[in-house]
Amino acid sequence: MLGLIAANLARRWGRAALTALGVGIGVAMIVGLLALTQGLKESAAGLVHLGGSDLGVFQSNVSDPTASVLPASLVGRLAARRDVARATPLLLVVDAIKGDPGAVAFGADPTGFFTQRLVMVQGSRAQGAAVLVGDRLAQTRHLRPGARLTIEGRGLRIAGIYHSGIYFEDSGAVMALNQAQGLVGRAGEETAIAVQLAPRARPGPTARAIQRAFPGTQVISDPEEAARAGANATLISKAVLAIAVVALLIGGFSVMNTMAMAVIERQGELGLLSTVGWSPSRVAALILGEGVAVSLLGAGTGLLLGVVGSGALVHLLGISSYVSASVTAWGLGRGLLVGIAIGVLGGLYPAWRVTRMRPVKALARS
Amino acid sequence: MSDEIGAEVALAHVGKRFGPITALDDVSLCVAAGEVVAITGHSGSGKSTLLNVIGGLDRPETGRVLLDGDATWERRRDARMRRGLVGFVFQQHLLLPTLTAQANVEVPLVGAGARRTERRRRAAQLLDEVGLADRAHHVPSELSGGERQRVAVARALANDPRLLLADEPTGALDSVTSKRVLDLLLEVRRRRRMTMLLVSYDPTVGSRADRTLTMTDGRLESGAVTAGVT
Ligand SMILES: Nc1ncnc2c1ncn2[C@@H]1O[C@H](COP(=O)(O)OP(=O)(O)OP(=O)(O)O)[C@@H](O)[C@H]1O
Ligand SMILES: [Mg+2]
Repeated sequence: MLGLIAANLARRWGRAALTALGVGIGVAMIVGLLALTQGLKESAAGLVHLGGSDLGVFQSNVSDPTASVLPASLVGRLAARRDVARATPLLLVVDAIKGDPGAVAFGADPTGFFTQRLVMVQGSRAQGAAVLVGDRLAQTRHLRPGARLTIEGRGLRIAGIYHSGIYFEDSGAVMALNQAQGLVGRAGEETAIAVQLAPRARPGPTARAIQRAFPGTQVISDPEEAARAGANATLISKAVLAIAVVALLIGGFSVMNTMAMAVIERQGELGLLSTVGWSPSRVAALILGEGVAVSLLGAGTGLLLGVVGSGALVHLLGISSYVSASVTAWGLGRGLLVGIAIGVLGGLYPAWRVTRMRPVKALARS
Repeated sequence: MSDEIGAEVALAHVGKRFGPITALDDVSLCVAAGEVVAITGHSGSGKSTLLNVIGGLDRPETGRVLLDGDATWERRRDARMRRGLVGFVFQQHLLLPTLTAQANVEVPLVGAGARRTERRRRAAQLLDEVGLADRAHHVPSELSGGERQRVAVARALANDPRLLLADEPTGALDSVTSKRVLDLLLEVRRRRRMTMLLVSYDPTVGSRADRTLTMTDGRLESGAVTAGVT
């Protein structure tokens, strides 16, 4: 049976390939977008715990967390709260580091816990007008203390190399807050405030309390929430659903069309199968099997395309500075499921048609 | 060699129309187990329709068709009935073009749910029986017309049918090849003792069959009903 399926597909391999490609593109879209959402989720997780903080305070209703703007006065008021141990302001500058669109430049208070927490692996913490570089960035760009790094068009001396253990920080650079504000012309503005809680305070309730106390802010305590906070992420999860449905429909119709055509062309052959004693359900299974095989071929191509394409998509959308596509097994699994569903969906009708065929009519047409 | 006994075929007042055309007109017929019946008649007289109705490929509008006294096709189990009881050979070989001779012979066995090793063994044996053991791994386009028809005969035998229905099995072949295929069919029939209905224009067929029936405009003409049939 499997051999027969393979032989039948090979006979019309051009058509099978085109149908498979159609399915593949749909599956690739799904895989790519899922990788993107996952990437957003992961980067959001990184943002939540910047500097080893428990909470991140952002402006509410922004397209993504790095677009947030907060007033400078907020830090003091946050730090004064009983449930907050420490708060330190951050300015995230994306697309700032020359030759490395994925790296974020952090403006941070040199005396705050964000900067103090960094472990220096080379050079010194002494900043002034100099910049500190994360070990990942230093490694990929071969940077050393004393070398220069161009940020926002300005060549800055590298004072030291640090390690923090947080991906975002280690693949970026840190400088004094006021210097960063000066570089981008955003004096007095902050992107986010990293908050460490008092020993007894619990993240969830405290986050809600802070949000109530300071309208217009959004306090994020867990990565899921962070992902939802970004309008991009919400949009993309909705897009994944929409595209999955569209891929199912279009892929399903295209498989259906291909298989219906095959059924008509091969009436004589299918009639012959019935003549030699194949039950209608077995003949139907052959057609369904061919449909599923085509879409599985497509899904396989789609998974590959999706993995390769998701990276490209991130660049295309211009969000590579804070999101990298992240392909998970479950993401691939869902792509594969959609592929199988397309085959079953598209194969059902032609398979049903076959069971309605009278063998004598089918034979007469051959 | 085989102790397979042929099936008994009985038709009572069978009628079949295609629109205004009456393809079978009140046909009654009884074929005894193991009998070889040749059917002749001019084109369009209803020979193929008769065979199709007997084999369950088509349904009569009136009358009854009984195989071994059982109206199997009336119970919507055509395919299963064909699998266990009937083998077909047509004018066109109807081999699947992508499959080797061996695989084509295996097709009915796939339908019957036989295991792969069993299928292989049976198909090889059948190809040997029709004298094509050495062509087993060729696809139909690499075989001659006579060889293709031999493969079709082997395929018809795959499920050990007790009734062989051959509709102009040599119609597409030259006279020498025709004779060989006909010899093969009769030889196979003799060995397996199945019942056979053979539609043919070949004048020599009549002399080799137990009985010859002639169809004219959907009616059976000569010696149609033998003793013991209503
Ligand atoms: N599916 C069909 N639809 C309409 N008419 C049909 C159909 N099958 C057969 N007929 C008609 O029924 C009549 C009997 O056809 P049948 O094929 O049984 O004749 P036949 O004796 O086998 O002829 P031939 O020797 O040419 O094969 C013919 O007039 C034919 O046109
Ligand atoms: Mg005919």
